[in-house]
Amino acid sequence: MKIVTIKTPDQVIIPLQQHDGAVCDSLVSVGDIVSVGQLIGDGEFRIHSSVSGEVTAVSELPHPTGKDILSVVIKTHDGEKREIEPVKLSTGKIRRIIKDAGIIEPNGHPTLRTKEDIDTIVVNGTNTWDLSSYEALMLDHPSRIVYGLKALMETVGATKAFIVIELGSEALHVMRTETIPDNNIKVIATPGYYPPGTEDTLAKKFAKKKVPRGSIPEDKGVLVSSIAAMKAIYDALCDGEPMIKKVVTVAGAVGSPRDVLVDIGAPISHVIKECGGCSGTPVKIIVNGAIPGAAQYSDDVPVIKTTTGILVQTESNIEREPPAPCINCAWCVDECPIGLMPHLLYGYADSAQFDKCAELYIGDCVECGMCAYVCPSKLPIVQIIRYGKHGVAEMEAFK
Amino acid sequence: MTYTISPLPHVKSKESVKSVMWGTVAALIPITIAAIYLFGFPALTIILATVIAAVVTEIIIYKAASQPITITDGNAVLVGLLLALLMPSSVPIWVPVIGAAFAIAVPKYIFGGTGTLVFHPTLVGFAFLLAAWPTLMGTGSVPNLGSFSDLFLEAGAGRLAEASPILVLLGGAFVLYKKYVDRRVALSATILLLLLMPIVGMGEELPYVLTGGYFLGLIFLAADPVTSPVTKRGRLVYGIVLAVLILIQLHFNTYFAGMCFAVLMMNVFSPLIDRSTIPKPIGGK
Repeated sequence: MKIVTIKTPDQVIIPLQQHDGAVCDSLVSVGDIVSVGQLIGDGEFRIHSSVSGEVTAVSELPHPTGKDILSVVIKTHDGEKREIEPVKLSTGKIRRIIKDAGIIEPNGHPTLRTKEDIDTIVVNGTNTWDLSSYEALMLDHPSRIVYGLKALMETVGATKAFIVIELGSEALHVMRTETIPDNNIKVIATPGYYPPGTEDTLAKKFAKKKVPRGSIPEDKGVLVSSIAAMKAIYDALCDGEPMIKKVVTVAGAVGSPRDVLVDIGAPISHVIKECGGCSGTPVKIIVNGAIPGAAQYSDDVPVIKTTTGILVQTESNIEREPPAPCINCAWCVDECPIGLMPHLLYGYADSAQFDKCAELYIGDCVECGMCAYVCPSKLPIVQIIRYGKHGVAEMEAFK
Repeated sequence: MTYTISPLPHVKSKESVKSVMWGTVAALIPITIAAIYLFGFPALTIILATVIAAVVTEIIIYKAASQPITITDGNAVLVGLLLALLMPSSVPIWVPVIGAAFAIAVPKYIFGGTGTLVFHPTLVGFAFLLAAWPTLMGTGSVPNLGSFSDLFLEAGAGRLAEASPILVLLGGAFVLYKKYVDRRVALSATILLLLLMPIVGMGEELPYVLTGGYFLGLIFLAADPVTSPVTKRGRLVYGIVLAVLILIQLHFNTYFAGMCFAVLMMNVFSPLIDRSTIPKPIGGK
């Protein structure tokens, strides 16, 4: 087994917003006793407790996105054996179960968004840079992932599915063996593909469906999902377990970097401690990958449903080189998965020419960070593009 | 405990402007050595004097303008070295020195320095010298791929870069692999030129093109990132039009200067090509 289950922390912080959408309503208040799998937040999506214990606070606390979000703090009962009692998820259609289990994709939207007819499912199994949780999941639970995928295919009526895995991954062989009996599930090897989980690019590359601006892949009959969601569907259907655990890659300057199974709501500091603690003085803690991830100002933020990795950097890992002028090398243009002109957007946004930014489709940028990664001039392209997007929004509000 | 926060990405590639410039300089080392081997001491003095002139000019100008001195980025060395390689071996040493000073002062500094310049400084320096002292810039012999051994050491070489076509290509392969110069421009222009020449009935002039000077021009000068377009389609257009322009120049002009002027002319159109080939993003209509 590649995935190591870590100890339940003494206290979990469960934010009531773990998706792209409104904050859920809290169903519990201070002093309540909750059990594993109990529904504690409801609204657009459902949020369940990952531990048994007592609610000690319901207040706004740091969230991995950098904002303070209403969260439920639960103190774990000491000495109580932590056994998952299969919670009664509403029976009936699989669609209902998937919704009730509160399954959220790593990019923040629920696995089932529409009731449209789906023709093709693309399952993202590519890991990039410091992240390896998908590979670990596929190596440990290949049959469960295929089970989850088949259930999803049946639910939405898809006739074929692609599992996309990067070349050279051990999981490639495992998943190919697992899907031999199924003619309609194809495992595709792809050269190190980035950015992971950008739905539109995956839909275009593997399902050959172009997604126009303003619509989602589902409108074109393509559902883009991930390995983590497949495993969550299996857990919900077979174990009655809602999404209360997450496989997270802990990498960088830690004692033993590895993939761990974490209770949702566990503080990052607890996860790092369970992985051997920081080696050296940590300077930066990044959630969700070295390139697209977000740097955290505090290690008290919890692991949430969209968390895929935790990276610890020391001073020697951090680039502090001052930027040089753009030399038109076009590396950012070659890398951009959307087909934008990052260096032009940078120039126009930096000089506050927001109308030019809008003309060059600045709103289409998915902020994957690849342009700033390859930039030989070390320009903070993503930061300035964000400023440009803000400027365009203000300009349009003024009109 | 609080931590450093910054916008993404949190890792960056090892390549920098410095590594691009110095990497290109390193790719020119083999042909530099071959030139010194073939032409002896004069070649060594030309190369050293030109590079030093470029560097000193840059230091003086940037100091006088009280701007940060960016000599360590290697751009001045690269401009000087490229200019030296375009010189005939018989040129008096003061000629390339003036050329290098001009190349840094006018096309580089006045046009805004690395990144914003319109014309390749080396080519402007070369054109300036050609116009000012045409007799001194002429070569004693014209290279021509007569036998197989000419690929390795060109006996008829007149200019430093013509000493060995294969060593220029070796350096070129390195910079193309590392993307220090633009692949689309270099490959489309070179391949199209070699294909078109026999088609338009200039096949017998092909040996004059398979020389070090041409490969240097097509790979290191034409495909220079700063002066070539940025869009994917634009770079292909640039390479294709360049090949046609070189053909026209070859027909009317002397064989080597024609190529340099063709590249200079294309430099003018680079922003226009960029502006008219902006791609539609993946979700665009």
